[in-house]
Amino acid sequence: MRRSNEPLFWSLFSAGGMLAALLAPVLIIVIGFLVAANDVTFARLHAIVTNPVGRVVLFAIASLTFFHWAHRFRHVLIDVGLRRFSLALAVACYLAALAGTVWAALVAFT
Amino acid sequence: MTATAITKAAAITRAALLGTITLEVARYLPDEDERPYFQSYDVPFHDDWVVLDALNYLKDEVDSTLSYRWSCRMGVCGSCGAMVNDVPVLTCATFLRDYLPGPIRIEPLANFPVERDLVIVLDDFMEKLTTTKPWIIRETEQPLDQGEYLQTPAQLAEFKQFSMCINCMLCYAACPVYQNHEEFLGPAVLALAQRYNHDSRDEGNAERNDLVWLDDGVWDCTFVGECSAVCPKGVDPAGAIQQAKLESTLGWYRSFLTPFGRR
Amino acid sequence: MATRTPTPYPRHRSRKWFLTRWPYQRFMLRELSAVFVAAYMVVLLVLVTQVHNGQHSVRSFENTLKSPGLLIFTSVALIFALLHTITWFQAVPKALPLRRGENKVPPGLLIGAHYVAMLALSAIILIIVLV
Repeated sequence: MRRSNEPLFWSLFSAGGMLAALLAPVLIIVIGFLVAANDVTFARLHAIVTNPVGRVVLFAIASLTFFHWAHRFRHVLIDVGLRRFSLALAVACYLAALAGTVWAALVAFT
Repeated sequence: MTATAITKAAAITRAALLGTITLEVARYLPDEDERPYFQSYDVPFHDDWVVLDALNYLKDEVDSTLSYRWSCRMGVCGSCGAMVNDVPVLTCATFLRDYLPGPIRIEPLANFPVERDLVIVLDDFMEKLTTTKPWIIRETEQPLDQGEYLQTPAQLAEFKQFSMCINCMLCYAACPVYQNHEEFLGPAVLALAQRYNHDSRDEGNAERNDLVWLDDGVWDCTFVGECSAVCPKGVDPAGAIQQAKLESTLGWYRSFLTPFGRR
Repeated sequence: MATRTPTPYPRHRSRKWFLTRWPYQRFMLRELSAVFVAAYMVVLLVLVTQVHNGQHSVRSFENTLKSPGLLIFTSVALIFALLHTITWFQAVPKALPLRRGENKVPPGLLIGAHYVAMLALSAIILIIVLV
């Protein structure tokens, strides 16, 4: 029985989409406006990124958002006429997300 | 009165004074024309006329060579789908007064080959309709002396919305995925599959999902959502497809927990 | 007068379908929002890297974030992030139609609950970061 592998990527897409929907606006405000304005102390930033829960959250939201982007971007490219490159697009996008995940792991956990 | 209300009133007044509105209708005669072209007609403007009334007037009084499909003229048969100003609509449900001052562009339903004038070739849709086995599938039929299958209002509510489809194909005309990939099963077919998948009398989910859960089933869909926006019966095929994606995903994970069992 | 073998006129696909009508353009903007959100996660990871590198690196990064280019990018990214949030929450009741008996739970309720969760989490994060 043939089976599609889309469910795997769709799960990652959904998880990333939900996390991003809940957290991306506030994170952008924090980083792009508050940190930018020196409103956040270094001590606090350091405490957050060295806290075990903080590390996991930072890794999760970065990685899942990358997979969310990968799945969405790949399908958009198919929709605008690149369906014949479907396999290559899938490999490129998910590999990029994987690379981002590895980077996120290195940044968050070391 | 708002600016739009004033403009509307002015347009209606103008049409009432002139008495007519212009229709630009796509024509194509398969044995004469290389490609479709537009023919302009002026039809009487009536406040209560729909596009179908105008087309019938044209065919009766002006140009009997014009071909188009229609039947019930009340939005239940699904025959009269066409593109009016680039939007798929039922011509029997589309009022001339909403397009003042005109002209109104009328073309055959998008994403289907054109047989002639406004008549499309709907073979692809008809073939797909039966592929997902849109009927009650059961291991055993209940014997007649046990009476009818009983369903609670709650059980009916699970699938009723998806049963309202009149096969008008407006959703296919609105779907950019179907436009670029004819193999996509499409909104109506997938909504119909869900109608039976969610019917408590039915036991055929596994059989249907062998097709529905594939790439050319629900997974081609990118939730543009225009199918649901144009549906004249509120079926919400986009919703049906997203629910099916969720079911497919849960089934996918479940299949790893029970590798030797049928989902 | 027939001059050719009768053939149906083939269906046509448009390369620029997404530009033709506002609903399709809106769809494209929604999909594009994922690019900006992901891009900002890159900024997030760079910030975390700088935090690990020390106070000096963070100060220097803060100056970069203050630059006009980055401020514009942040503003655009925020708009797209909100677009993502709004369209995502609207989609949830479509994929998860909740019912109590035969009555549909109003989609607005489910969407509202998501906004409450979002605002609560945002408040918590702001407190963690600032207080």
